[in-house]
Amino acid sequence: MRFDLKVALRYLLSNRLQSALLIGGVAIAVTVFTFNAALINGLAEFQIDRVVGSSAHVTLEPAKPRPQLVPAADGAERLVVSQGANERRAQIKQWRTVESVIDTLPGVTGVSYNILGTGLVTRGELSLPVSLKGVEPARLAAIAPIDANIVEGEPRLGLNDVLIGRKLARDLGISVGQPIFLTSSQGRERSLTVRGLYATGVDSLDARLAYVNLDTARVLFDLPEGLTEIEIKLADIYAARAVARQLADSTGLEVTAWMDKNQRLREALEGQGSSGSIIKMFTLITIIVGVASALLLTTFRRRPEIGIMRSFGISQRFVLSVFMLQGALIGVIGSLVGCFLGWGFSTLLAGLGAESGRRLPVDPSLGQYDVALLLAAAASIAAALWPARAASRIDPVEAISQ
Amino acid sequence: MSTAAMTTTHSSAVAAEGAPLLEVRDIRKVFVDRDFQTPVLKGVNFTLQRGEMVAMLGPSGSGKSTLLSILGTLMRPTSGSFRMQGRELTALREAELSDFRNQQIGFIFQYHHLLPDFTALENVLFPHAGRLWRETRAGRERAAMLLERVGLRDRMNYRATRLSGGQKQRVAIARALMNQPALVLADEPTGNLDRENADQAFALMTEIQRETGTTFLLSTHDRELAERCERRIYIAGGVVVDQPQPAASVAAATSARPSMRVITGDVPAVIDHTGQSGDADRRRA
Repeated sequence: MRFDLKVALRYLLSNRLQSALLIGGVAIAVTVFTFNAALINGLAEFQIDRVVGSSAHVTLEPAKPRPQLVPAADGAERLVVSQGANERRAQIKQWRTVESVIDTLPGVTGVSYNILGTGLVTRGELSLPVSLKGVEPARLAAIAPIDANIVEGEPRLGLNDVLIGRKLARDLGISVGQPIFLTSSQGRERSLTVRGLYATGVDSLDARLAYVNLDTARVLFDLPEGLTEIEIKLADIYAARAVARQLADSTGLEVTAWMDKNQRLREALEGQGSSGSIIKMFTLITIIVGVASALLLTTFRRRPEIGIMRSFGISQRFVLSVFMLQGALIGVIGSLVGCFLGWGFSTLLAGLGAESGRRLPVDPSLGQYDVALLLAAAASIAAALWPARAASRIDPVEAISQ
Repeated sequence: MSTAAMTTTHSSAVAAEGAPLLEVRDIRKVFVDRDFQTPVLKGVNFTLQRGEMVAMLGPSGSGKSTLLSILGTLMRPTSGSFRMQGRELTALREAELSDFRNQQIGFIFQYHHLLPDFTALENVLFPHAGRLWRETRAGRERAAMLLERVGLRDRMNYRATRLSGGQKQRVAIARALMNQPALVLADEPTGNLDRENADQAFALMTEIQRETGTTFLLSTHDRELAERCERRIYIAGGVVVDQPQPAASVAAATSARPSMRVITGDVPAVIDHTGQSGDADRRRA
């Protein structure tokens, strides 16, 4: 064992109460750090999951037509009035080509080829507007876990089937197995059977969105070939922007990542992240102040001993190293204990309320233990620097005469 | 071995080696505190030969401790020079001085100044392990040998705090010798001990000095111990003064005020840098 390490350990063990308090202080700060990280990150994941979990990470839509202007004659002033091209349905006609591009992408966990449109559901005298989503039956749950959200009936989409939200069913006063009459925005009409009711917990979806078979949607919206939307789900949701850029470049479609579709969520997460960073910064400051003040006191108490060491030719570097090592040991041991406590505390809280379904959004796996360990150890070493330098510069004659 | 015989033997060794171990020339030290200047050493000159045991006497405040601190490279003089083993020490940088001190100089203080959290063995080993940044088997064996030499083999694993005052001072003596220094500086090494322990500690230092040929410079107020040294240096008023006959002279020197110089008979007032004058010389003659 290095002799400076032995001396540092001996000093720490000689005043066990002070060392225990110091290590305890660092451990508590690291516990706060890691628990805070587990809570903030867990909360962020929870929010993201609530928003993004049942929606696409990357969405491809038809490119918006950008009309080219005819060159104006010299000196002529050009006045332009722009209007959306209403006369043409925006659709992705060559979606099979896009499909082959998507198939080459790594990290894609699900794809859904959709036709979106609007219509009216009529039952007796009652008419309600609905959003219709035509999907391939096999890909029904590729994006949103509709199959898991079915509360009545079954997640099946035959050509004459429709899945509607529980709230819409209540509003219409119907249940599974009953027919509804549907009129699309294209004026096509069709009678469909309610095959299942779902409940996502989001009222706007449960009251408005109806799933139909993709082929049924083709008929309803006069789209025999094309699609209006392709949705992609990724294993790494934070890769969405990069994937979106890549797809936009290779397909020429309008491609949007989830974070660009959810500006408010992003702002909320950034705000949460900043709050978490401030708390983490204060815990680090607590570590630095605590360790520095305690080591400074130790240095003062050991002045005569340091003077003696210097008198028999122990170098300033050795003295510096002894006190730096004390700081490092306090930091590393305290951080390890703190990480363990933080993980334990997070796990305990994450488990509470699991039975009642009111679980705290704490994720013990997101405690940033490696960051906490590194930062706390670095903070302790930095905190030890001042006392250690003071110790190494002690005048031996003055110290011995104390 | 009688004192005379020991001196003769030692003198022969000194003559064989030639150059003095330590040459101190016109060392001055002025302490400055804001506008106040306090000159403590006003031009000290003397020489130590290899293997000598020399007592340094003088009244309190005469500058003995300051001189020991300077010779031990713990403090820099305001001016002057001192050479040890042919090396001008005033020119060395802090790290070099620290290294030199570690290998060439041993310290024994009035209060033992052992490190309380370490065992007797670790205290003795400290100067060696601290220099190498690790403990070696050879170092531990030497530390154990030194503790055996000072009669503390059975106490080597005792914490310093569990040792008696006399035992602690013997550990301090062993520690001073750990790196086989050429010079041991002892500042009132028996000043904190009772008569019996003081005699034991002094006897131990004398024996070790004879066995190892290490040069000892002892600052002391103890006239009896000073008389048992081969040579005495008297400091008064910040300079080295000569002193005639032991008993009376020590009494005079130890009671002298800093401004006094003790000049007796036909011997030079200030010992010359060769250190060949004084009663050690007279004994040799």
